Amino acid sequence: MQASELKRPELFACRNLRVGIAGRAILPAIDLSVASGQFWAVVGRNGAGKTTWLKTLVGLLEPVSGSVESARDVRVSYLPQRSGLDDLYPLLAHEVVSLGAERGWSFLGNWRGQRRREQTERALSEVGARDLAERPFRSLSEGQKQRVLFARLVAGDAEVAILDEPTSAMDRVAEREAFELIRKLQTDHGLAVLVVSHYLSIVREFADRALLLDADAQQVVVGTPQQVFDHPAFRNRYGQGEVSYG
Amino acid sequence: MAEPTGATAPSSDLDFDSLLAPSASPSAPGSAPAAGTAATALAGPVPRPAHEEQPTWHDFAASWDLYRDPVACGVVAGAVLGMLGVFVVLRRAVFVTAAVSQSAALGVALAFLLGIYLGFTPPPVLCAFLLALGATGVLALGSPSKRLPREAVVGLLYVGASALAVLVGDRIAQEAEDITAILFGTAVLVRPQDLLAVLAVSLLVVVALGALYRGLVFAGFDPDGARIQGLPVARIELLLWTLVALEVSVTTRAIGALPVFAFSVLPAMAGLRASNRLSHAVLLAGLCGGLSGGLGYLGAFLLRFPVGAAEACVAALLFSLATLVARLRRTA
Repeated sequence: MQASELKRPELFACRNLRVGIAGRAILPAIDLSVASGQFWAVVGRNGAGKTTWLKTLVGLLEPVSGSVESARDVRVSYLPQRSGLDDLYPLLAHEVVSLGAERGWSFLGNWRGQRRREQTERALSEVGARDLAERPFRSLSEGQKQRVLFARLVAGDAEVAILDEPTSAMDRVAEREAFELIRKLQTDHGLAVLVVSHYLSIVREFADRALLLDADAQQVVVGTPQQVFDHPAFRNRYGQGEVSYG
Repeated sequence: MAEPTGATAPSSDLDFDSLLAPSASPSAPGSAPAAGTAATALAGPVPRPAHEEQPTWHDFAASWDLYRDPVACGVVAGAVLGMLGVFVVLRRAVFVTAAVSQSAALGVALAFLLGIYLGFTPPPVLCAFLLALGATGVLALGSPSKRLPREAVVGLLYVGASALAVLVGDRIAQEAEDITAILFGTAVLVRPQDLLAVLAVSLLVVVALGALYRGLVFAGFDPDGARIQGLPVARIELLLWTLVALEVSVTTRAIGALPVFAFSVLPAMAGLRASNRLSHAVLLAGLCGGLSGGLGYLGAFLLRFPVGAAEACVAALLFSLATLVARLRRTA
């Protein structure tokens, strides 16, 4: 990820970006930019390249070609897929939230303890999870865990939230609540949100920008959710009736 | 062949060792050589004549000046390895410590071999650290093939280092009497310079562990999230394994590979079993490790067992106790 001269509200820009694994591109070139307050949905079938693109965007993977530019010192928070967190760690919910405030080598400075506690309490209150603070994170339900991770995002004062299938283990009610919470955080904090989701009706309701990735058909479509859902590439992959899914 | 300068140091070790318990044979605070390798651990205590008097608590207290240093060494090594071990266990890398401690032993053996054949003996602890660090570096590179898991590399290092240590030890044994003491210390008696090294390195490790604590937690719990927030995850991991290599190399030389491996794993398991909070688990692991070192030494003295094995057994007992407490608490 390059820290170039992008000016806020523009936070990320993909310039002729090709992503892939071990130097082999799996998708055509992508050109787009992400600005503060935008809600992006990334859609595509399993193996379409969604996680590869996200990881390239945030610098976990090197681009095969092209570049990713970002605003200077942009604060990104990441909510991984369920399997991305190690349940062996006996952490309380508030301890997980407090990790959101760490950047770079900041963890070396324990003198920020009081400030960190206040940030954590405020973040938990904001997502309605104050009662979970002293509970072991690994013993929480998937919905509660997600709520705590949203609090981590708030505690980190993030500008960009990247959510990789955040609701994959939830029922429909919990999923809707989670997306409503994401939208509240987006509105209250001016967050840019990038969310990978398979639930297309939710995408259409909440997102204002969409990115369709299809590694098999070598297609990339960028636009509003409606533009993406109307695109032949989407119709070929999901069928005619799928847009009203859910 | 050059004068076997390396052999003189171990010889003096053995003489000092034999002073430890004049009424008994040289290895437990009674006799047998301290368990250093799997082979010596399996060998068990040396049989003793039935008429030998059983040592008592009074005997132990009366000779406290003699036992103070090895007890202190066991307690400190147990406590610090216990705390460090929590992060090793959480990273699912318990056998890494075994491979690293065998590599450290090989480093000590190589130091003495250099002394015998080249005429100068580099500091054994330094050689132990370099080999231990090399082993952690190899492990950090991961598996050379997608067809083999990282555990296979751990096994290769463990077996390779153990076999080489025995081979090198065979050559040293031509010049010195007790290869086990050379490679692994005795745990019965700790030389002042070894105790000093253990204390200094342990203090450094505890301070570093405290400073790195939140980074270690984040990098282990959610590595991708930590990387995206700009934490230097690879460097944090490197620092963790450097600390492991440091602590393991000095403690292996002082008290032996078996107790070092036991202290790196069992107290951490006890802490994690008994507590739902990581910071408490780390402190509990330190406590269990320290108790294992102290009580293990005392138990070995009173029951005439090898020290290293007794310390490992006490650590296992404490883990069983922690499991019992955790179960009782859950059912209550």
